[in-house]
Amino acid sequence: MRKALAALAAVLLACSGLSACARAGSQTADGDIYRLGSDQAIDSMNPFVSVVTTAFAVYEQIYPTLVQLDPEGRFVAEFASTWTTSEDGRTWTFRTHPGATWSDGKPLTAADAAWTLNTIAAFKDGPTAGLANYVSDLDEASTPDPNTLVLRYSRPVANVLNRLMSVPILPEHVWREYAGGDGEALTTFPNNAPVVSGGPFVLVRHVPKQVALFKRNPAYYGPKPHIAGFGIQFFSSDDAMITALKSRQLDAVRTVPSTSVANLESAGFEVISSPGLRFESITVNANPKQRPEHRELADPLLRQAFDHTINRAQIVETSLLGHGRPGASIIPPGTANWADRSLQPTPFDLGAANRLLDQAGYRRGPDGTRIANGHPMDYPVILPEDTYGGAGLRSFQIIRSDFAKIGVRLTAKLLDNAAANEAVMANESQDFAMTMWGWSGGTGDPDDTLNYLTCQSWGILNDTGYCSEEWDDLYARQGAAMTPAERHGIVDEMQRLAARERVLLVIAYPDSIEAHSREWVDLPQVGGNSFSSESKIPLLSVRRAG
Amino acid sequence: MRVLEYVLRRGIFSLVTIFLAITGNFFLFRVLPGDAVSNLAKVPHSTPELQHALMVRFGLDKSKWDQYLIYLKNLLHGDLGVSFTYQESVSHLLLDDLENTVVLAGVGTLGAIFIGILSGVMSAWRRSSPLDHLNTGVATLVYSFPAQWLGLVLLILFAGVLPAGGMSDQFLFDSPPFWQHAADVGGHLVLPAATMILTAYGGYTLVVRSSVLETLGEDYVLTARAKGIPARRVVWRHAVRNALLPIVTMVALDLGYVVGGAVLVEVIFSWPGLGMATFTAIGQRDYPMIQGAFLILTVSVILLNFVADLVCFRLDRRVSA
Amino acid sequence: MSVRIGDTGAGGRAGIFRKVLRDHKSAAVGLALIALFVLVSILAPYLSPHSAVESSCAVFEPPSARHWLGCDDGGVDMVSLLMHGGQTSLVVAFTATLVSMAIGGTVAIVAGYFGGWPDTVLMRVTDVLLVLPDLVLAMVIAAVWGPSLFHVILVIGLLQWTSTARIVRAEVMSLRERAYVKRARGLGASNGRVIVRHILPHVGPLLIANTVLTVSAAIYLETALAFLGLQDPSVTTWGTILEHAFARTAISSGAWWAIVPDGFVIAAVSIGCFLLGRAIEDALNPRLKVSHLSGRRWRLRALVAKGANAR
Repeated sequence: MRKALAALAAVLLACSGLSACARAGSQTADGDIYRLGSDQAIDSMNPFVSVVTTAFAVYEQIYPTLVQLDPEGRFVAEFASTWTTSEDGRTWTFRTHPGATWSDGKPLTAADAAWTLNTIAAFKDGPTAGLANYVSDLDEASTPDPNTLVLRYSRPVANVLNRLMSVPILPEHVWREYAGGDGEALTTFPNNAPVVSGGPFVLVRHVPKQVALFKRNPAYYGPKPHIAGFGIQFFSSDDAMITALKSRQLDAVRTVPSTSVANLESAGFEVISSPGLRFESITVNANPKQRPEHRELADPLLRQAFDHTINRAQIVETSLLGHGRPGASIIPPGTANWADRSLQPTPFDLGAANRLLDQAGYRRGPDGTRIANGHPMDYPVILPEDTYGGAGLRSFQIIRSDFAKIGVRLTAKLLDNAAANEAVMANESQDFAMTMWGWSGGTGDPDDTLNYLTCQSWGILNDTGYCSEEWDDLYARQGAAMTPAERHGIVDEMQRLAARERVLLVIAYPDSIEAHSREWVDLPQVGGNSFSSESKIPLLSVRRAG
Repeated sequence: MRVLEYVLRRGIFSLVTIFLAITGNFFLFRVLPGDAVSNLAKVPHSTPELQHALMVRFGLDKSKWDQYLIYLKNLLHGDLGVSFTYQESVSHLLLDDLENTVVLAGVGTLGAIFIGILSGVMSAWRRSSPLDHLNTGVATLVYSFPAQWLGLVLLILFAGVLPAGGMSDQFLFDSPPFWQHAADVGGHLVLPAATMILTAYGGYTLVVRSSVLETLGEDYVLTARAKGIPARRVVWRHAVRNALLPIVTMVALDLGYVVGGAVLVEVIFSWPGLGMATFTAIGQRDYPMIQGAFLILTVSVILLNFVADLVCFRLDRRVSA
Repeated sequence: MSVRIGDTGAGGRAGIFRKVLRDHKSAAVGLALIALFVLVSILAPYLSPHSAVESSCAVFEPPSARHWLGCDDGGVDMVSLLMHGGQTSLVVAFTATLVSMAIGGTVAIVAGYFGGWPDTVLMRVTDVLLVLPDLVLAMVIAAVWGPSLFHVILVIGLLQWTSTARIVRAEVMSLRERAYVKRARGLGASNGRVIVRHILPHVGPLLIANTVLTVSAAIYLETALAFLGLQDPSVTTWGTILEHAFARTAISSGAWWAIVPDGFVIAAVSIGCFLLGRAIEDALNPRLKVSHLSGRRWRLRALVAKGANAR
């Protein structure tokens, strides 16, 4: 017994002694390793299965894309070096990099790109649905020669480059065998390490929920990265992640909570805030045919009153600690130059809100809660897991306490992301009353965001119960508008329409905040991210100082 | 004969308990109201065909009784289903997690016993001294804090000095030599294991203290001392040995709690064990994973309980002999 | 006649509590601690210096003369927050305890009084539940049902009755053999009447001793569930305070005041329950000393009692 205890003591002592110092940096014989922390893990290495941005940022680093964004937000060459558009805007021709190879030595040509796009188009109603909107209106991708890719569209498409930027080009020789029959095998292929890679890095190890490690791909056709590799460690809590950064177990963190900014800055870290691509919103069901228990929610007066009850300034100050701005338009300020800046946030005005509700005839009941159509105004608000963590919950608490002041009770209904989505889409958007969550807009193009409100998105993306001919008409027109000025005009009109109809009550645009140790330099941001799903440039240029 | 009978009785009880836990697990997810049932076939982003395949696989189109039989049959083959999130076999995914939890809970429990014995004997030895009062006071106080709070406080105190997240240095490209890897894991283990030790050692301290005090008053100890055997040896030889029975009893009783504590500690320190897996799976409504993790945890606790019962039985016989 | 016996029972019960408080200084301390927290919780709306909902200072403002324990991530005064959180925490704990006391008491009386197969079945179920890891079970049930205050109360109540049942059953069994109970039954009193008049009054103190300890176990379980995000997000409890501080990076932001005091109030209530519960049990059954060790894992005493019976 005593011996066993002595052994235990020895182990404990040894452990505590050896662990005393966390490692201050990581290196291999080839050079430096850049260590990144993320609060979101890779759900799958298969692009047809994954739904999270971390995974798409990873695909960006290991797969070629035709084009990419540069730090100034312009489309620049990646696997395609040049491109041209036909007169009618329906045919796009790309010259791709000659002589490229995959990491297994097989040739990497335009045929891989054509195969990827055609495969996504072929199974867009099934296995490849997640990527389908990147190839909508695409009739055919063909390759007159190994270094030329020709895309034919059924109508002029304004944002072809924006769509193609997000499509990882997959090695046909690896994936072809899974694309037979109904394509179902495309979603069951795990694509585990070592992945055949065409981008600047190769995935060498992936332990789900723990870490993914990448090293330089010597076969990459582009410039050689300065770093020998990088790794992403996944954390279950923001606090542990920030602590790891501060104790130098990490070099950078992708998503810094607003509460940590001041602290990291004073600890000497480079903290970069940029206008967010995201907006947080309250959705009030706009479907006129929703269940009678909350049908009054479609009333314009009520929606206006609710809009006045959101204290955007306090939310920006308390939830975001000033790292964000109050919301107005449904296009976030980070989406290139598409946001209509003439739109102003609806002022916080409880008096006005109360007057509007009085005017609409919702009288207060004995407990102070207003009565609408015979029932108290008490609405469940669906909060998905993503929103619930930290700042989102704080925002909800602020909103909830202000709504109580206008006689409207809100109760939180916590659901995981998938269930929340399902609850909103269920039964043709008749069942849900309100939600609080957010949307991410595109970096360079507003199309995705505008699409959320179309009738055709019902049951898939439209979380508002809104559907109008006017909107759908404008949406179609902006998609076909070939000159930027014309398209800007239509997109601005759409933003004003959305604001007028109060389809989404936009709360705020949180800044996108990253932090990294000052030992690292030349780490540009693309669309507010240095670990981007839209550009390979940041990780190609980052290097250790000195 | 008595031994065999006892082992058999406890063994049968454990088997029955395992069977009940398995059945309860089935009921929890298929029979109780809640959205779990429909979700077993609703894999996010899956096609109708895959959903149909899962319906067939879990027999969701059949009667509850048939479903139960299918479930038992799958379990016998070690088939816990396919994770929604990772689209891989649950048992395969959870095997590593189990190992990681065993490391954490094992070191935590052994450490707590070790410290509990040391401080308990110390207290009993210097009974009613200021040292005893301080020691038992601290033990009771620490024992009263919730596990997650202790973890957070350790994080406040030692973040930056000791690794605070994960199980090893994640950024090593080549697997290091064994001892280096062990040291690395050991370092990452310090804070989570210390939390587990703090949550449990107080109880052991109090058990050991009162048990040693009791033994010290007994005749044969007095006789031994009268024979001139040094007091120190009397304490270690007799008193501590006699304290083992209550300790093992307590360890057995605590197993469920140890597992609960491990869940909280794993979440705080991003320790990739079964607790973390359950926590993550709950967030993602990955029902096969929740079910699988729950099953592995309960069955392990039941089996360990059985082992502890046998140890107790043996110790008990030795004490009374 | 039965009235007289009933009176004796009630008198005996009150007598025990008076004796406990007189003989055990620690019981008085425990009772005072619990009473203090209950009182503060009830009076929270009048006592709390600031609003527990609206912000009255900056985000994570450190402690000052105006805000004794600083402020949380929403600029809400921590003292006020702890008072209001305690209100909900204690309501959860006491309600869940009532549920578990009702279940545990019923199981114990049915099993102990009637014996036979009900006893065997109920005790096997109890044994099984005792073995299962309760937090994990609670997590899974709460996850299947969805996070809400009601579900949390129900889950805790449904999981915490087992050792009450074990201990009280033993007491009921011995009561059943007492002369006056046998006499009452001989005189033709119905089972229900005997249970209400003669059994309940006598197991009352034991039930209460266990109940006091269940309260602290319930608080722990609630804080753990809340920490794992399985509590209703609109309520404030001692559990959600910790969860929320951690989610908003109180630790890496250096805001220890959003975390540390919370643990001390939980510990204080728990120690109060521990002292009081232990003292009552001491008075009732001085033989069980070795088992009086656990505030949190009060289930311990049940099995030790079982072990003692076996020996």
